[in-house]
Amino acid sequence: MSGTESIAFDTPQRERRADNFAMWVFIGSEAMLFGAIFLVFLVAHIDFGPAFAAASKHLSLPLGTFNTAVLITSSFTMALAHRFTLQRRWHATVWALAATSALGVCFLVVKGIEYGKEISEGLAPVLDLPFRYAGPDPVHAQLFFGLYFAMTSLHALHLIGGIVVIAGMIALWRRCSPANRLRRVVAVGLYWHFVDVIWVFMFPVLYLINR
Amino acid sequence: MSNAAMQGTYLGEGSGLRAWLLTTDHKRVAWLYLVSLTAFFFLGGAMAVLMRIELATPAGDLVSDDVYNRLFSLHGIIMVWFFLVPSIPATMGNFLLPLMIGARDLAFPRLNLASWYVFIFGSLFALFAVAAGGVDTGWTFYTPLSTLYANGFVSTAAFGVFIVGFSTIMTGINFIVSVHTLRAPGLTWFRLPIFVWTLYATSLVMVLATPVLAASLILIVLERVFGIGIFNPDLGGDPLLFQHLFWFYSHPAVYIMILPGMGVVSEVLPCFSRRPLFGYKAVAMSSMAIAVFGFLVWGHHMFVSGQSAYAGVVFSFLSFCVAIPSAIKVFNWSLTLRKGEISFETPMLYALFFLALFTFGGLAGLFLAALAVDVHVHDTYFVIAHFHYIMVGGMVTAYMAGLHFWWPKLTGRMYSEIAGRIAATVTFVGFNLTFFPQYVLGFDGMPRRYHTYPPEFQFWNVLSSGGAVVLAIGYLMPLFYLGWSLFRGARAPDNPWNATGLEWQTSSPPPPHNFETMPIVTRPAYAYDMKGLEHERFSPHREEAAR
Amino acid sequence: MSELRKLTFGYLGLLALLALTVASSFLDLGGFNVALNLAIAAAKAVLIALLFMHLTGTLPRLAVAAAGLWLVILFGLTLIGR
Repeated sequence: MSGTESIAFDTPQRERRADNFAMWVFIGSEAMLFGAIFLVFLVAHIDFGPAFAAASKHLSLPLGTFNTAVLITSSFTMALAHRFTLQRRWHATVWALAATSALGVCFLVVKGIEYGKEISEGLAPVLDLPFRYAGPDPVHAQLFFGLYFAMTSLHALHLIGGIVVIAGMIALWRRCSPANRLRRVVAVGLYWHFVDVIWVFMFPVLYLINR
Repeated sequence: MSNAAMQGTYLGEGSGLRAWLLTTDHKRVAWLYLVSLTAFFFLGGAMAVLMRIELATPAGDLVSDDVYNRLFSLHGIIMVWFFLVPSIPATMGNFLLPLMIGARDLAFPRLNLASWYVFIFGSLFALFAVAAGGVDTGWTFYTPLSTLYANGFVSTAAFGVFIVGFSTIMTGINFIVSVHTLRAPGLTWFRLPIFVWTLYATSLVMVLATPVLAASLILIVLERVFGIGIFNPDLGGDPLLFQHLFWFYSHPAVYIMILPGMGVVSEVLPCFSRRPLFGYKAVAMSSMAIAVFGFLVWGHHMFVSGQSAYAGVVFSFLSFCVAIPSAIKVFNWSLTLRKGEISFETPMLYALFFLALFTFGGLAGLFLAALAVDVHVHDTYFVIAHFHYIMVGGMVTAYMAGLHFWWPKLTGRMYSEIAGRIAATVTFVGFNLTFFPQYVLGFDGMPRRYHTYPPEFQFWNVLSSGGAVVLAIGYLMPLFYLGWSLFRGARAPDNPWNATGLEWQTSSPPPPHNFETMPIVTRPAYAYDMKGLEHERFSPHREEAAR
Repeated sequence: MSELRKLTFGYLGLLALLALTVASSFLDLGGFNVALNLAIAAAKAVLIALLFMHLTGTLPRLAVAAAGLWLVILFGLTLIGR
């Protein structure tokens, strides 16, 4: 076979085209997953707008904003990694990938701090933890925080997946042919940017309800 | 099977367990799926037989109500997600899609094998749920029953279904990308066999609908395990919203199940009537239309669940609309037969039975789409009969048609034609005997999901239970004669049915990379009216005599 | 414009949009805060898709269009019942 990973293809060009398309189909599929979750949130938001707006104020806007900036930066470094791969600047690529996953870890740490803060303030209706909410309409605020934890943890799981894949890619970097390096960076890059896009929507939806 | 004659074919490439479990050959992955799905089919079937035995008498004497609840729940979960959804795509689709588009394999062979492992991993959860005591929510996992009240292994089963969803998505992506990027030179979209069109439409539904099911199941598991009450009415959560998400997947999932069956029938009918498929483009486009329209009708499962009357009217109207592309197909199939040189080999018998049963089930669907009638028959045996006519009478019959049609290609062996025809007929008789009485019962008002019933319903229930025994025999027969043919069957020629289609141009069974020389396509599909194909028909009896 | 500059400008644009969306949430725009936030999020998504993800070619666009259409169906038909 002429340098293709799958025996189905006769040229690497066709295979790259198929790889790229497959990632986009996968992203479309993932978009439906998050779309459904957003729909659940939207329906509850329509029903209990004031309670959700009040509950949203209890989230930490500085940490949320910081985290959004972190994730946007990680997308930028991921795009740089792609750029460097095309130029075959392998050292720079590895550094950009490492930076990307480090920023991902940074996001998770900040998210963990946020979770800790919310748990200590009694705002986490999870695993029978005490729920002590001082604002108006605590019943529907509980629904808000339930959705907040469901949505952000699902996003965090996706991010963890991305970090693990990047880490694995760096670990196997030396054993990987240049063609495969490009394929992997392109594929994981698309995924990483998609997870970023999800957060770009999640951030205003959860944190910025009429401050 | 690993004798000298299989040398040079995909079956001769190593016969150890390792060679099979680590294969990336789409034809072998198809076999892995075929074996596992057959096991699930008979497991789910056994539960159905137990239920029918229980229902032979009005009293609840064989199993308790609780066990009965678990039986129908697991029957549904296993049949829908562990047999019907993957059935034709993962077995025959997997085997045939690359052959039909003239490719060496699917676009991502390792992803294909991975999808089988993911399927098995998910099925372990489901089997654990069965062994540990079952689930009693029905296959639909409705909230708040599933989240607040059910005491079975709901999270385990839901998680298993969630995992299997990944396998479905993997297959879907693989098929979509393969059809777009791997077609042989000259194989334009409108030269594709309808089976490929339907697999493409199915994959579209798989990729876009399955994640929504995944989302709703995640929320159930979060609610049960982590106590995050998203559908909990006490918190203002909306249980009906779960039904929206669930049916956004599960209604299109009906088309995941039936579309590939329509594809199989579109292959078989032209072949055994020696006529090109009537209205090829209409059939191809109606498959895509079903994939899209199928997403617009889910609300008809919720006519009496408390959605607004306005939504009910909209969904009722849209549900009538989805009947149009299905009807287009039925008319085109019927017109294909017109003036055809029809012969009744086993695959053709199954295909004709499909045509009858699918039409019968589909017409009942129109009753159910009508808002007023549905209020009367909702959650009765009428609904059970309707969807079994489509899923079992339609889908499983088409599955059998395909299995018999392509069996020579899969194995390089012929099966006993007489046994095949008998099994097909027994299945048809047994099926109608089982499910036609359920239309009557449902219309008379017998509700579904109860293990007892008033004595006046007994006559039809006994008929139905008797039919279930006949049907079980009809499904067990192929297990034996196909199993026998696997080892002792006559050698199959490359093109036993004298059919068109690239899969018949290669040897039976195909070589490891499908084609000795990569094909170039110059003809439309189903060119049965073209010269050079009117050879003598293959007769299994003559072949056996020659042996 | 060189590729690297394009990426850098895209990155700065994203940060600017982030600042804009946070700032706008402190203003009372009546019912339009949510709409504005979502519009800004969509703009960011388009930037990421075009500059970072190189969304070009028929097939990837087809995938995105399909997902978009199906999201419209999911949201639209669920919300008509309310």
